[in-house]
Amino acid sequence: MGMQILSHIGIVMIFSPLLLGIIGKTKAFFAGRRGAPLLQPYYDIGKLFRKGNVYSTTTTWIFQAAPVVAMAAVLVSSVLIPLGGLKAPMSFWGDVVLFAYLYALARFFTILAALDTGSSFEGMGASREAAFSCLTEVVLFLNLMILALISKSFVLSQMIEGGALVGPALFLAGTSYFLVLLAENARIPVDDPATHLELTMVHEVMVLDHSGWDLAYILYGSAVKLFVLGGLLVGIFIPSDGLSPLTQTAMFLGGMVLLALVIGVVESCMARLRLNRVPQLLVGAFVLALVGLLVVLMKGV
Amino acid sequence: MLLELALIAIVFLGIVILGSSRLRTIIHLFALQSFILSATPLLIYPGVHALVMMTAVLILKVLVMPVFLFWAIRHVSIRREAKPLIGYGKTLVFGGLLVGAAFFLSSKLEVPFREVSNLLVPASFSVIMIGFLLLVSRLKAITQVIGYLVMENGIFLFALLLLDRTPLLVEMGIFLDIFVAVLVMGIVINHINEEYDDTNTLHLTTLRD
Repeated sequence: MGMQILSHIGIVMIFSPLLLGIIGKTKAFFAGRRGAPLLQPYYDIGKLFRKGNVYSTTTTWIFQAAPVVAMAAVLVSSVLIPLGGLKAPMSFWGDVVLFAYLYALARFFTILAALDTGSSFEGMGASREAAFSCLTEVVLFLNLMILALISKSFVLSQMIEGGALVGPALFLAGTSYFLVLLAENARIPVDDPATHLELTMVHEVMVLDHSGWDLAYILYGSAVKLFVLGGLLVGIFIPSDGLSPLTQTAMFLGGMVLLALVIGVVESCMARLRLNRVPQLLVGAFVLALVGLLVVLMKGV
Repeated sequence: MLLELALIAIVFLGIVILGSSRLRTIIHLFALQSFILSATPLLIYPGVHALVMMTAVLILKVLVMPVFLFWAIRHVSIRREAKPLIGYGKTLVFGGLLVGAAFFLSSKLEVPFREVSNLLVPASFSVIMIGFLLLVSRLKAITQVIGYLVMENGIFLFALLLLDRTPLLVEMGIFLDIFVAVLVMGIVINHINEEYDDTNTLHLTTLRD
């Protein structure tokens, strides 16, 4: 059990920055550039781990604890989902609620740390993050409810494996979950992960004061978050029964690469939405999930 | 399964139309919706009748009307719906409620003959509701025309229930009616534009000499 959990977390930690690398390469390809090497996120994180931390005298322990808590929360959440052929090491009745609230915990501490700096700029980012997460959480739970109704189970790993069939409701839930994924990971239609020092940033503005190890934890944590939330989406759409674990793993990894490519294409083809249009996008995702729920209640697929 | 995916894709595109403000995008989305719609008769009753319907939809709704609408927005040079009567977020929420109402209504409705798929009636009601919402919540005459067309797509879906017992002539008559209606509306849009330098239909409610 212990070994299993460690290997699960190890795989997530090894592969997650690669996803960011693929997204970067895709964006570079669309812009007609050669782009940073595929392993650039690893170099970035390694570089930050070799540096020291700088703390402002106005901050308290919360500021130092937040990156560690956020990183730990997303790593724990990765234990709850299967990765291709690898079964989820931990699962129990109702672990979807834990899954959703581990992210809420990570977000809560990031927001607290941003407020802890006392900078009005970071406070603004924190307020935006809190406002948007109100909307994404509802949509996330609606999507999980659709999965729970289809698979008739409230265990996350069973829900993922039970939903391998592509039906009309899954099409709606998948689309709305993809929008949640983009919003949760501060990706382009909602937020631009590459900008700095701009008044419309949401997530990036909250971590401006972090440095060294702490910043590395935050970067790594967001990569892991993208990997786990993406793994949930990919897991729903790849069939799981009657295949050998090796084929399943290969399909899973292929699906993850495909997901990264799709995110890269979306980021290259779309401009970031105006801040007041973001809630509209999330309300759209909510309506899609709602229609999906109606279809499930009506049809059962 | 394929039919259900197509039906849900049609409802999905309707919701996306509700949330978008650029007229070019809306017309493209409408053309895509009609394109998926054109495949539905073939998925239900493959045959000559369905093939004729498909060609009619393809020519009229995927080619002629979008081209005509593009011509109209170029002619009156408007690109987006500036101020809708109800905000976009609220329209989306309303749309969700209406789709819910449509599903509820169709679960109460007893169709007296064999149903092809039990998603067909709710999907058609939802598309009718979405089109109706578009029609009443937007001020620009062109978006209203598109709302009318989306509503008509829903009626088409509902008529699919009767596909094997309606004569072809009746259906062609309906298509002709729609075509003429859109043509007339296009001309009206141009007249509104010439009269008021704007296609906002609110101007039509004020009286003057």
